[in-house]
Amino acid sequence: MRTRLLAAFSILPCLLLAQGEHQWVLEQSTTTYQVSHPLHHTEGVSHAAKGKGVCHAGFCEFLIAVPVKSFDSGDSNRDLHMIQVTRGAQFPMVIVRTRLPEDAAASATIHADLEIQFAGQTVQYKQVALQRATQGTETRISGTIPAMLSDFKIDPPRLLSVPVKNEIPITVEMTWRPM
Amino acid sequence: MGEPPAFSKAAKLALGLAILVSVFSPLRAQAQSATLSGTITNPSGAAVTNAKVSIKNVRSGQTTEAQTNSAGLYNVPNLIPGDYEVSASVEGFAAGTNKVTLAAGATAKIDIALTTAGSSTAPPSLGDLGIPPEQAQGSAQSQQLLDKRSHMLLIHQRLGLITTAPLIATLITSAGAGGKSSSASGRELHATLGGITAGMYFTTAYFAVFAPKIPGNTRRGPIRLHRALAWVHGTGMVLTPILGAMAYDQRNAGEKVHGIAKYHSTAAWITGVAYGAAILSVSVRF
Repeated sequence: MRTRLLAAFSILPCLLLAQGEHQWVLEQSTTTYQVSHPLHHTEGVSHAAKGKGVCHAGFCEFLIAVPVKSFDSGDSNRDLHMIQVTRGAQFPMVIVRTRLPEDAAASATIHADLEIQFAGQTVQYKQVALQRATQGTETRISGTIPAMLSDFKIDPPRLLSVPVKNEIPITVEMTWRPM
Repeated sequence: MGEPPAFSKAAKLALGLAILVSVFSPLRAQAQSATLSGTITNPSGAAVTNAKVSIKNVRSGQTTEAQTNSAGLYNVPNLIPGDYEVSASVEGFAAGTNKVTLAAGATAKIDIALTTAGSSTAPPSLGDLGIPPEQAQGSAQSQQLLDKRSHMLLIHQRLGLITTAPLIATLITSAGAGGKSSSASGRELHATLGGITAGMYFTTAYFAVFAPKIPGNTRRGPIRLHRALAWVHGTGMVLTPILGAMAYDQRNAGEKVHGIAKYHSTAAWITGVAYGAAILSVSVRF
């Protein structure tokens, strides 16, 4: 009986940690947007994302924010043009929110409903597949958001009068750790 | 002297282009105003008096503020139709936000339930990420500066491409302007085309030189080569017509082109090649 009680008390903190209130913090990240044009394929990369997750009552709410101006395509002129067409001076942050059941953290593929605030618009992307891998205490999340310029009411930029493609897939690689 | 009429044509063309560009300005549409109202409540559902309600137009960034009455009600008339972010705050509670799209003439109702401040279970906010409000807050003025810059550079790009046509034509007609098979009419045509090219070139350059500068921007990538080449073709575009005018006078006087005027052709070709390379530097990835 005594042994059983001891065992029960030793398991209890683990159960509380699993189901109780806890938080996650974004340790590091790489966010990449891709733009295609007949003459160019361009990628802009940012490592400046900040994020936090708060878990409570079986659900986790995540918030990730990336400054628009932090994306670097290797060409300052193009980066300034990107900020202009995305109205990045007026809406300087890309903000992503998602709410996930806590048990989603146990599966290798997470299907997340993402709410993205960007260029003055708020767009929902349903069931975006994200891959999850655990390394020690850290959790790595990667995936591609199938974003389109038209979703955010952005006029496709043109080079030599030819517009870029509407599709601008955004690839994310994030490492989260519990707080 | 055939040069003055040629430059006169170029000046007319440049003036015409400038007028054309100034005509294309966005028209503003007038719309019927909308009204937004609602109730602000605390976590127990009771009305909150004197809560500050901010209604931000997502597109323009303009914010209208109101305060709730003793029944927790707010009412904001005369709003321009569009997307809005409504936030409510009062001391002792965490701010609550909501979004709404207002149609012309519409009356919308947005209620906001405030949550307890400092609750560890509240959804994370930008403040939790260490992002100060001034970083998250945009500037309509900076956006206008960027818009103007992009608008001017777009004209620069288009005019630059159009200018290649008279530039190439000028280089092609150089065969009839100099050398043994040259004629007075050949020189006239070459000078006229050269004048048009110069006029369009300097109009093109104007839109790049006077595009607003963005503070804190460090130039990286192909734009550096593009600008370096501009120094070459810019200098060439000043020198070439001067040398051309000298060569034109000498040939019309029945003399062989001599002195520095004999470098007119070399300057023109260097200018043409640098100009083409400048276009390619920002168009094609090498």
